[in-house]
Amino acid sequence: MIQKKICLLGASSVGKTSLVKQFVEGIFNEKYLTTIGVKIDKKVVTLENNSLQFMLWDIEGNDRYNAFQERYLRGASAYIIVADQTRTTSLIEGLEIHSLARKVAKCPAILAINKSDLQPSWHWEDKGLEDYNDLFDLHFYTSAKTGANVDNMFIELAKLLQES
Amino acid sequence: MTSILNNVLNAMQQVIIEPVEGSLNLFKLVGGSCLWATELLPLSASQKVFSIDDNTPFLQDFLIDAQLIWNGSEDNRVRSGFWTEVVANNKELHLEAIAIKQDDQSLLIISNQTEDFTLRQSTMQSARELSLYNDHLIEQNEYLHTRILAIFNKPYEQENIITALTKAIENAGFAVLITKSDLTTIIANTAALHLFEQGGSSTHESSNPVDIIVQLLKNQLPEYERIIATKSSWDGELCWMSPPSTLKWLKVALYPVLDDLNEIKNWIIFANDISNIKYLVQRNEKSDLQDLLTQLPNRISFWQRLEKQIISNIPFYLLYVDVNDFRRHNEFYGHDEGDKLLIEVSGRIKSSIKTSDFIARVGGDEFAIILTDIDNQACCEGVVERILDCTREPFQTSELESFNVNLSIGAANFPHDAHSVEELMKFVDLSAYNGKRSKANSLQFYSQSMKDASRLIIEVEHELREAIKNDEFELFLQPIIDLELNKIVKAEALIRWNHPTKGMLFPDSFIAIAEKSGLIITIGKWVIDTACQMVDKINKMGHKVKISLNLSPAQVFDENLFPHLHTCIKNNKIDPCLLELEITEGVMIDDYAITEKLLNKVRAIGVSVSIDDFGTGYSSLAYLKKLPLDFLKIDRSFVRDIVSDDNDKAIVRAVIAMAHNLNLGVIAEGVETQEQLDFLEQNSCNSVQGYFFSKPIEFSSFIMLLQNQKKKDFESHSS
Repeated sequence: MIQKKICLLGASSVGKTSLVKQFVEGIFNEKYLTTIGVKIDKKVVTLENNSLQFMLWDIEGNDRYNAFQERYLRGASAYIIVADQTRTTSLIEGLEIHSLARKVAKCPAILAINKSDLQPSWHWEDKGLEDYNDLFDLHFYTSAKTGANVDNMFIELAKLLQES
Repeated sequence: MTSILNNVLNAMQQVIIEPVEGSLNLFKLVGGSCLWATELLPLSASQKVFSIDDNTPFLQDFLIDAQLIWNGSEDNRVRSGFWTEVVANNKELHLEAIAIKQDDQSLLIISNQTEDFTLRQSTMQSARELSLYNDHLIEQNEYLHTRILAIFNKPYEQENIITALTKAIENAGFAVLITKSDLTTIIANTAALHLFEQGGSSTHESSNPVDIIVQLLKNQLPEYERIIATKSSWDGELCWMSPPSTLKWLKVALYPVLDDLNEIKNWIIFANDISNIKYLVQRNEKSDLQDLLTQLPNRISFWQRLEKQIISNIPFYLLYVDVNDFRRHNEFYGHDEGDKLLIEVSGRIKSSIKTSDFIARVGGDEFAIILTDIDNQACCEGVVERILDCTREPFQTSELESFNVNLSIGAANFPHDAHSVEELMKFVDLSAYNGKRSKANSLQFYSQSMKDASRLIIEVEHELREAIKNDEFELFLQPIIDLELNKIVKAEALIRWNHPTKGMLFPDSFIAIAEKSGLIITIGKWVIDTACQMVDKINKMGHKVKISLNLSPAQVFDENLFPHLHTCIKNNKIDPCLLELEITEGVMIDDYAITEKLLNKVRAIGVSVSIDDFGTGYSSLAYLKKLPLDFLKIDRSFVRDIVSDDNDKAIVRAVIAMAHNLNLGVIAEGVETQEQLDFLEQNSCNSVQGYFFSKPIEFSSFIMLLQNQKKKDFESHSS
């Protein structure tokens, strides 16, 4: 089966691990436990005529304690920048990570605005999200907690990768 | 491998793997025999050759980095960083690999790092919860601050304001207090009442939240008086101790609400209980004396050190360093870039002082430094010059955008200027604040004259407020003559202050203070109002004369300027073509985008725009080409010696030619003699203004001038 390496990137505590857990196991845990280093999960995504195995690289969030490491993107078929809609700064940090990732990975990039079940940050709308959508191949509002749009995001990504 | 080494490896939870020569992906276990290693790489247990495949994808990927090391010619090593692998029974292994090349031998060491992993996870967990909390706090504070100011700025009835404010603050997750100018409470939300609830024990302290905060500010903040007197914002941490049971750390923010006269209308106070955060910090950092961001000693640590220094009774200098416009930087580039800047600034300052000196972060963008072994001002100036030198080099954002930073530094000497911690801190804070007014790098030593100058400014500011209330300003007009038509087509409006005791004052004695205090906005509105009324009167008398108004930088950046101008034009029913706005070159450079937006709007309604004092600033041709302008006004300093000085002649000729190329009209200022006028006429200057024709005069005199001109016109036509 064709394997595809997908990296989840973003600021810390935006919900990268929760998105993977929801997608792979269908579980959400309220307690936040920060990721250290990398953890890889696998899941087969079945499309109409084909199946792909996603190798999901859940990478420790980037912040002042942990700088972005481009080597983790080696061989990636796509990466997902995750932002937290309750925290405006996480979008800005996500965009910065995206610009760094762009320099080393010429693969599709997806924007996942997570925690869509919560009240969005007050300044979120001011940032003109539409302007950022052009920077990404796909974008989704997701909730790792309710599962909203999570499967859909990975399926749409699989379709995109199948076409390319 | 000997059994003793194997025992060590097992105790260290490590296994050593060696690549099989000539193969890219075959390995054999050469040391260690841990159960977890068998669970990770089952084939390694059989002492046979095995491969590393996509069952362990992280390790498989790391082999690319390992191969680079193994194929290199020199001894080297590379680490994989932590990764987590799930083995049988959902057991998690926290691992790290190191690829080593040593004396032509290639090795791969895999370590089970569960212990280190758990420690790091626990530390990072606290640190990230902390930064998450801070992020939310900053966002909530900023949002609520903006919202409260917006409510204050809306033309509500008093009781509706209270309702709107109560509604806005009630559900905030932290204490919000709104007070009158004298810091008496108007509204406190429920969170404020909860935060300042004290246990049932009897206490002599007031339980009013504002009283408690003010008392803490007075006791713990030497800058308090200055902050209140200068209507500044402040945020920082305060420790609230009220025996026997209360000990809370509070993060407090204090914001002024100002009226049109720049007087305090209200104060907004935010308070958050950060005791838990303090506990987390202490647990992680093992010290509550260090600033988390810059790793420098914090305010408390500084306080303790300063006390010790004073007790030692050895002379020293105290510096207070303030990063100018840091708030603006934060707003423009974001908080992360702000943090990055503070780290960089602190690093640069630290590198420019002696190791025996003591530097601490004592506020958001403020650092304090104790310079030991220095007992004279010249040496202190030398150190400050070093600090300024090292911060003159441009800084860079993460996006590699360059920018510069200016520092305001206040300095005071122990024991010459003060003997106590409180006084010393108060004096250096005041000195830095005074220097900050210039916006450039500055060093200000504490002195009596500085104190006197501050007092004078406060006095003039107070008198200006009275002047606005008592309508003591007058608008004089100086005619501008069109050289082709040979008649007055325009007049520059110039403000005068009819001071009750000092007589008629010129703008240079009060405009700078009006600008610094923010009163310029109110004065500027009065000028626009009055000018529009004058245009209306002149027009009704049958003269068509334009009035040009000077705009200060603060007015250009005031978002209410255009609506006010537009309303005045409509209310007075005047033709907007009879108004002109004059801005200086400096304004264009300060913020090109805002200036361009404003000028486009005013020109769209028919108001013309001129550049004042042209040639004295730094405007480039690029600005002149891009900005929507109509006229250039050549500064009087070039006109003064135009007859005798060849350089001035050349400059004026060049400016006129350039302006005409850009389709701009040219007005020469400060024309005082016939010779100057002749030169300007010969070189196709369009208009002139100066004492040769008329000094700035009262409105009634200006009307007479216009009537005389009309009479002359009539006579010349009829003769």
